[in-house]
Amino acid sequence: MDRTATASARFLDPDVLARIGNLELLARTVVDGFLNGIHKAPYLGLSMDFAQHRPYVPGDDIRHLDWRLFARTDRYYIKQYDAETNTDLVALVDVSDSMDWTSDDARPTKLDYARFLAASLLHLSRRQRDRVGCVTFDHDPIERVPAAARNLDLSLMALERSVPRGPGDLKNAMYEVSGGLRKRGIVLLVSDLYEDPDDVVAAIRYLTARKQDVMIFHVLDPGERDLPVGDAVSFEDAETGEQVPVIPTKLREGYAQVIADHVETLRRSMTGERVDFVPVDTSQPLDHALFAYLSLRARSTRRR
Amino acid sequence: MGLGFLVPLALAAAAAIVVPIVVHLTRRRKSKVLRFPSIRFIEKVPYRAESRRRIHHWFLLSLRALAVLLIVAAFARPFVDRTDEATAAGTGPTERVVLLDHSWSMALGDRWSDAQEAAREAVSDLGPLDRASVVVFATGAAAIARSTAEPVRLRQAIDTSRVSDEGTTYGPGLKLAQTILEESELPARELVIVSDFQAQGWTGDEGVTLPAGTEVRTVVVGDGPIDNSAVADVALNRQQVEGRERVSPAARLVRTGGTEPREVEVVLSLDGQPVQTQTVTLPAEGADGVVFDPVTIGADQTQGSVSISEDDLPQDDMMRFVLSPGRAETVRLLVPPGATDAAFYVERALGITEAGEFDVVVSSGGVPSGEALDETDVLLLVDRPLGTPETDRVRDWVQDGGGLILVAGERGGWGEGGETVFPGALGGVEDRDGRGERLASVEYEHPIFEVFRGPRQGDFSAARFYRARAYSVQASDSVAVLARFDDGSTALAERRTGAGRVLVWSSTLDAGWTDLALQPVFLPFVHELARYASGAREAFESFTAGQVVDVTDARAMESAGLGAIAEAIAASEERVVLAPSGASSELTDGSSSHFLQLSEAGFYEIRPPGRGDLRPVSVAVNVDRGESDLSALDPEELVASLRSGGDVLPAGDTERAAALRRADQERRQSWWRWLLLGAFGILIIETVLSNRLSTATARSGHARMAS
Repeated sequence: MDRTATASARFLDPDVLARIGNLELLARTVVDGFLNGIHKAPYLGLSMDFAQHRPYVPGDDIRHLDWRLFARTDRYYIKQYDAETNTDLVALVDVSDSMDWTSDDARPTKLDYARFLAASLLHLSRRQRDRVGCVTFDHDPIERVPAAARNLDLSLMALERSVPRGPGDLKNAMYEVSGGLRKRGIVLLVSDLYEDPDDVVAAIRYLTARKQDVMIFHVLDPGERDLPVGDAVSFEDAETGEQVPVIPTKLREGYAQVIADHVETLRRSMTGERVDFVPVDTSQPLDHALFAYLSLRARSTRRR
Repeated sequence: MGLGFLVPLALAAAAAIVVPIVVHLTRRRKSKVLRFPSIRFIEKVPYRAESRRRIHHWFLLSLRALAVLLIVAAFARPFVDRTDEATAAGTGPTERVVLLDHSWSMALGDRWSDAQEAAREAVSDLGPLDRASVVVFATGAAAIARSTAEPVRLRQAIDTSRVSDEGTTYGPGLKLAQTILEESELPARELVIVSDFQAQGWTGDEGVTLPAGTEVRTVVVGDGPIDNSAVADVALNRQQVEGRERVSPAARLVRTGGTEPREVEVVLSLDGQPVQTQTVTLPAEGADGVVFDPVTIGADQTQGSVSISEDDLPQDDMMRFVLSPGRAETVRLLVPPGATDAAFYVERALGITEAGEFDVVVSSGGVPSGEALDETDVLLLVDRPLGTPETDRVRDWVQDGGGLILVAGERGGWGEGGETVFPGALGGVEDRDGRGERLASVEYEHPIFEVFRGPRQGDFSAARFYRARAYSVQASDSVAVLARFDDGSTALAERRTGAGRVLVWSSTLDAGWTDLALQPVFLPFVHELARYASGAREAFESFTAGQVVDVTDARAMESAGLGAIAEAIAASEERVVLAPSGASSELTDGSSSHFLQLSEAGFYEIRPPGRGDLRPVSVAVNVDRGESDLSALDPEELVASLRSGGDVLPAGDTERAAALRRADQERRQSWWRWLLLGAFGILIIETVLSNRLSTATARSGHARMAS
């Protein structure tokens, strides 16, 4: 497990992925690499449903023999499954100005990372026959691709086209988005959540009210957790343009505490809302997020 | 005595002291701008507010505040007000002018050093509010330090002044002193005259009116016994001997003072080489003359001098001159055909000159043309009419500088168009009754008659005129009547046309119509007539220090005896002038720089730049010989003749004068300079300190991070 995970991590390293221009190729690379790595994992077949029985013929996998039926009828029957295709998965990707930032030029921006993540998740879901869709937003939805079996390409294109063009407003955007979610499904929200925790909760409630399973990927750059060391500098807000002069060296400790408190508050709030909250660091490989996603699917399947 | 401010209002700017504090508390550092996703959490960190509102470096802040205070104080122009002290002393601020005589007679003995010392003393006791000027005077006057309160400047001006080669004239110096004193706002005025008080520089009619209340002091230098010998004059008599021109220099020597006869060696030098030496014995308070053997002048612009052995006053022991070979003027006498005797008296008169001044050609033909006319300096028509074509021909020639004399006689006159050449209109022959008429009115100011001006210098009234042509002349700018007969009719008239002159004599110059030709004045009259018509002047051998020459005016230069090269000098745009002291300068056209001020005694040399083949024009400059007369004037007489005029300082000006005194005190103390300098120094220290502190703070921050 460790060996294969390490091998696949090479493909999931965001720094490497940043060099792949095509988002579909990137998603396939990620997902294939990821699936190879977890080939023996217990998650396989979780999305398969029973379809019918057929008589056993030599060569069939005996693992699929229905032993209960054999006990009742004394005949060998093989269980046949249909892929589960009735789940809608929509990725909501925050493309506001604050996402267009990285503390290290060699590393992808938060927005790029969010695009990789969303593309990979959509691709993975599509392989499991889910209907996939995508919405990009800042203070309003920008582009909507409704969930459908054939909409993977459109979704990837929407992600690829997305450019930051203004400040974000999660509450308003989620209100607008929730109107288009008529069918029960899974919603993946990828954002840096620079909002008041109460506003985040209010935004999530628009989605949960529509019977959506919400999973939040909270994307943060390492530089946002730890300020750089240095002399006087003015920090300019990427969304408002407002400047504030500080000496980062003196501010570091206090700032790290404030941001940690914020993340913790969000986690607690989301737990209270029964929403999965996955903090994602742009320096981490994508598999961390993918595992989180599959865990969610496993839990939701069990709930069903 | 107290601290005063010239601009007290500027002190209000002291409120600017809060600027460093406000800046410190509110200034946003001009630091690097770093884009960041969101500053909402940065703003939540309490660090900023606390850090900004605390003053960490009180020392730096006080330095900044001090710098602001010093700058404000500098602009308020502080000074220690000593007005009361000066007023209490009873003198009041005084404007003092020191007139320092630097004429060359001051070089005698210790006169100059005494005069300098006296001038230094005159400016040494200046009060805190007094101002002084130093004016040096000789022929002219110049303020070498004007209305200043800086003793150093005054002393420096006195120390650097030198004895000039000019003579004493009190007028310009006193006029300049009057101007300075009149311009002054100070209530008290004082004039100190430091001089040897030579009587010759004082006319008693200088017209100087000093401001009311001006106190005049005199300092006499050099009033001891005098013994000075001088070359007073050199006459250069030209003679024509066997066709060669020779010059006999004659010098007049004068001795002032002394008790015993003195033997003096007199040396004639040409081009720097002693040629002849003679010895004479000069009696006390006497004079003597020396005549040198005739010498031949070979080249133009020969520099010559007559000198005696030097005494205490060497300036007047040498007389310099510049000699060039004389040139005969060509006078062409045109007489009627077959009447060559008509010009007999004139021809003979022109032929009698010591130096062969005139080259006379008698012709009964027509007016020559071309080169022959160009070579003619004077055309003298005797009893001969001028035809229309000839009139046209001479018109241009006269314009270019030719001299035309028409002696009317019976037949003299001019053709059509002649009225543009000749003055007036000639009528018929008029007989004078009885004993004839005399010349009653003669313009003795005119160059022709100037030599006859003095008593016993020539008597025109002795000549009788029995006949003359009726001649009416309308005087104008270019036409002048120079002589009239008893009845008021015109005898001689002149018209100036271009560069030339036209003279018309309404009678004859023979013994027919008049007996003028038999009178003693005839010869010099004819000479002067021809000389004037030719435009030639007597050679001018030397200038006096202080004179000015316009080097661009060829005629002026030539008439000043600077010879034919003067034309080349005048024509070129630049000239190089080498002064006797060796100083070289350039005179270019335009503005007033083409005026050469001959301030030094010696030989000036002028030449066009880069023309090595041309012998430079030499200008001999001698000191003013009048200055050799060292007899002194009674200073009291001079002081008494200086009139005081004007009113006392108007009441309204008192306040202005007071304000001026304050300004003057402030200007002299000039504290503002030191205050600004101090502020500048403090700001430098502040910059260095704050930079070090910033670096130290950053280092400690890094160290904390590393730990």
